[in-house]
Amino acid sequence: MSDGPVSVTLKGSDISAPKSFAHRVSSRLYASAKLRLRLLVSAPLLWLALVYVAALLALFVTAFWTMDSFTGEIRPDWNLDNFIQLFTNSLYQTVTLRTLGIALMVTVVDILIALPIAFFMAKVASPRMRGILVISILMPLWASYLVKAYAWRSVLSNEGILQWLLRPLGLDTPGYSLVGAALTLGYIWLPYVILPIYTGLEKVPQNILEASSDLGAKTWSTLRLIVFPMLLPAIAAGSIFAFSLTMGDYITINIVGGATQMLGNLVYTNVGIANNLPMAAAIAMIPIAIMFIYLSVIRKTGALDNL
Amino acid sequence: MKETDSEVGILLENTPAISLRGLTKSFGSVHAVSNLDLDIASGEFFSMLGPSGSGKTTVLRMIAGFELPTAGTVVLDGTDVTKLAPFDRDVNTVFQDYALFGHMTVLENVAYGLRVRGIAKATRSKQAEEALEMVRLGGFGGRKPAELSGGQRQRVALARAIVVKPKVLLLDEPLGALDLKLREQMQIELKQLQRELAITFVFVTHDQEEALTLSDRIAVFNSGHIEQIGSPRELYEQPKTNFVAGFVGTTNIFDEDASALLFGKRIRSTMRPERIPVFEQPTQGARQGRVIEAIYLGSATRIHIKLDAGPTITALVRAGSDAEQQWHRDQVVQVDLDEKNLVKLETN
Amino acid sequence: MSKTPLKLSALIVGMALALSGCAASGEQASGKLQSLGDNEATLSLLGWPGYAEDGSNDPAYDWVTPFEKETGCQVTFKSYGTSDEALNLFKSGDYDVIAASGDATLRLIASGDVQPLNTDLIPSYADVYPFLKGQAWNTVDGETYGVPHGYGANLLMYNTEVVKPAPTSWDVVFDKASAYKGKVTAYDSPIYIADAALYLMKHNPDLGITNPYALDADQLAAAVDLLKAQKENVGEYWSDYLKSIDSFSTGNSVVGTTWQVIKNFMPEGSTVEAILPSEGATGWSDSWMVSSTTKSPNCAYAWLNYIDTPEANAAATEYFGEAPATPGACEFGSEGFCDSYHAGDEAYAAQIWYWTTPIAKCLDGRTDATCTDYSEWTTAWQEIKG
Repeated sequence: MSDGPVSVTLKGSDISAPKSFAHRVSSRLYASAKLRLRLLVSAPLLWLALVYVAALLALFVTAFWTMDSFTGEIRPDWNLDNFIQLFTNSLYQTVTLRTLGIALMVTVVDILIALPIAFFMAKVASPRMRGILVISILMPLWASYLVKAYAWRSVLSNEGILQWLLRPLGLDTPGYSLVGAALTLGYIWLPYVILPIYTGLEKVPQNILEASSDLGAKTWSTLRLIVFPMLLPAIAAGSIFAFSLTMGDYITINIVGGATQMLGNLVYTNVGIANNLPMAAAIAMIPIAIMFIYLSVIRKTGALDNL
Repeated sequence: MKETDSEVGILLENTPAISLRGLTKSFGSVHAVSNLDLDIASGEFFSMLGPSGSGKTTVLRMIAGFELPTAGTVVLDGTDVTKLAPFDRDVNTVFQDYALFGHMTVLENVAYGLRVRGIAKATRSKQAEEALEMVRLGGFGGRKPAELSGGQRQRVALARAIVVKPKVLLLDEPLGALDLKLREQMQIELKQLQRELAITFVFVTHDQEEALTLSDRIAVFNSGHIEQIGSPRELYEQPKTNFVAGFVGTTNIFDEDASALLFGKRIRSTMRPERIPVFEQPTQGARQGRVIEAIYLGSATRIHIKLDAGPTITALVRAGSDAEQQWHRDQVVQVDLDEKNLVKLETN
Repeated sequence: MSKTPLKLSALIVGMALALSGCAASGEQASGKLQSLGDNEATLSLLGWPGYAEDGSNDPAYDWVTPFEKETGCQVTFKSYGTSDEALNLFKSGDYDVIAASGDATLRLIASGDVQPLNTDLIPSYADVYPFLKGQAWNTVDGETYGVPHGYGANLLMYNTEVVKPAPTSWDVVFDKASAYKGKVTAYDSPIYIADAALYLMKHNPDLGITNPYALDADQLAAAVDLLKAQKENVGEYWSDYLKSIDSFSTGNSVVGTTWQVIKNFMPEGSTVEAILPSEGATGWSDSWMVSSTTKSPNCAYAWLNYIDTPEANAAATEYFGEAPATPGACEFGSEGFCDSYHAGDEAYAAQIWYWTTPIAKCLDGRTDATCTDYSEWTTAWQEIKG
């Protein structure tokens, strides 16, 4: 071999040698924004796919299986029995309607309560007062869900504060009932409704309200024509919280709901007592379907676009 | 203050469009506006000029009804509206950042004032369309404010305010967010619009040139009170105070010592730079000095001169005048400080 | 002994039981431990809360540490909330021993998850109350699968101020419940159907119910009807005993089914009484059982023996609030412990129908009928609650 080719080879390695693997990866990443983005989102996306999509799919698939009632084994033989049950047995219709009713009631009541509170916080209260209010609204979130439900159990009881307040008016506490459950759920989810509406209101500039008033709109018109439409996405966000969280509840209804049950209780009974996971999965499809419809309706109004 | 009052009184023989008496606004211990008296005539283009924090916007907001005065009264067209809500006052406001309703179309924005007055949809759409035509935005009614440029949004805000035919239009630094070219164009349009509508414009600005360009009269604000009210010419030619002289245009201000030295009078005084001729050759009665800096401005050259007698002055030499030439640093020059151009300032 | 044949035989037993409903006795003998060897190092327990306290919740209650010192078996304990949760956990194979109620035991035996016991290797078993031995929930075809832990009855509790005259029958929560509309309470579990069945057994002999856990379709339907009628008067169902204490003390509930421990924990000055009505009552009798796949059989046997020794049994059952399984425990419990739970009162115990898993093979011995199983009871229970 002559010297020529050797020296050429050396030259080539001289150039490439300092470029480590990491260096080359970095260069490649620097050059391609698309690749960077893909790498960045792939981990969370994988997580999303596994945790949410796969879990939902698994749930859906399970709903078509059956449980051997004696041994408690789940048998993956495909059939529609569970869904036939759902559609033919009046139990499921009754409970679905009841759950839907409570969820709507809680949502509407929460929005009605949250609007003035949020408005006061965002537009009326002094900064100091606002801070106190935000903390006092957040405070209950730090307490356990169960503590709050049991507190309401005591409030609603025959010897509770509600009875004491209502007796002079000739009324009685709603006690442990659907109304009691709706009150309690309304209380528990209220911060989740107030906070997005408050944030939404804070985003409404003061001069927009002044402009409306300046153009001759009385307070009510301003609220109806300006504030409410601008707040719609925030209200929608709040309603999603109150509605979906109520749809899935099975604990509060047990504590203050008296002898009634919601869809969550049926799921719980099928998982925890009957060990009938396929039936539980089928029942769980009901609130999922309802939430799906609810979100589609909200999406149609365009409220989600502004979120 | 007495002087101001009498001057206002002369101007206003009929009922003023706006009459403010003893108007005071305090935020805690801060007096944003203190004991202010002001009359604005009907059909006037009136500007409130001052640096930020001088109280001009606060006065405007009290006229609109967004702020309630701590003391004093607001009278609109002979009616005391001090305690009335904005929606009960026959004035409309164009906001600095337009304050358009983002969820409505341009047409809906403009028709809003009519809508809340219960005017039928067809009528209000027609009137809103006319108002848009007036601000040269015909055909833009279907768009959303977010799809418009800054200047277009400004016009929408204008159209929205004038469509309800107020007696007084309040404009809070409406051109502040526009670039220079657009601002100059809008100034002309505003002036034309005011003439067409023949209503009172109250215009808040910190831009003295804008105020001089547009206004019939200007009130110069400083620290919550009015320094001087007058026509643009009066303010420019006859500033009463140090502050007005300095804020409206650029000027030379001489304290008592400088005045005594240069003119033999122990007074506070001012002289506009363009009233000071500059010569190269020694001239009768002129004073000698040395150029510190000569700045070429295109239409003129601004020359800073250190007089041999001590004080430093600024002179402005217009392009095309006899004195136009290449001035340069360290050049020895003569300036003619003619006492007839000297304006006496009030000592506070 | 290899694992596979054991598991296989257990499985065959389970399938045989499920399919034909009869299994030849003696076949399981091969699964029984014949002699004890050296203790293994660890033992994993599964049980109701409070069944194996090691002092970590309250230093005053610790009967696990003495066991560990004595045997060298390091104990880990996992508690569960319902019998069904227990089944799911136990099927994971991570546990050597389980304390199960009668509504779970048969399912464990049927699925082959537990092994038959050689009681000769459990000395303390000899002293256990005889009426707890050889029962349907712990013994199948003569083979003992569990040693008793303790037992209790589901009593009738009532507010003496409201419910007058003092009841002697369950009719106050069934046929006469409308007098206390909205203030009746009932246990929230499919197994509560047995309470209605027990009532029908005594008051409606035409239905031919002889065991409240052996109901054919017609009998179940009758019980469901009774419970649906009852629901109109029910204020709330309870499964958490603290919730029951609360409703009785506020007057939201005035009459309904209860546990002795609830009566014992009622606040000072409460005007409630708990009785065993004339019809008798349902109840529970819990058993410790050994996993068929355990790697620590010697430790498991040691625990089964230990828990029925008087001192440990007294500590465990008094802590939970039930009658002990062995008479000697009464010496170690606090004053009046055995009296308040009617421990050893055979007449009292005879009136108790202990929770048993309803299965298709009728537990009352009928061969001409198919009985409703637990999953049917669960479906029925959901419908009752509406």
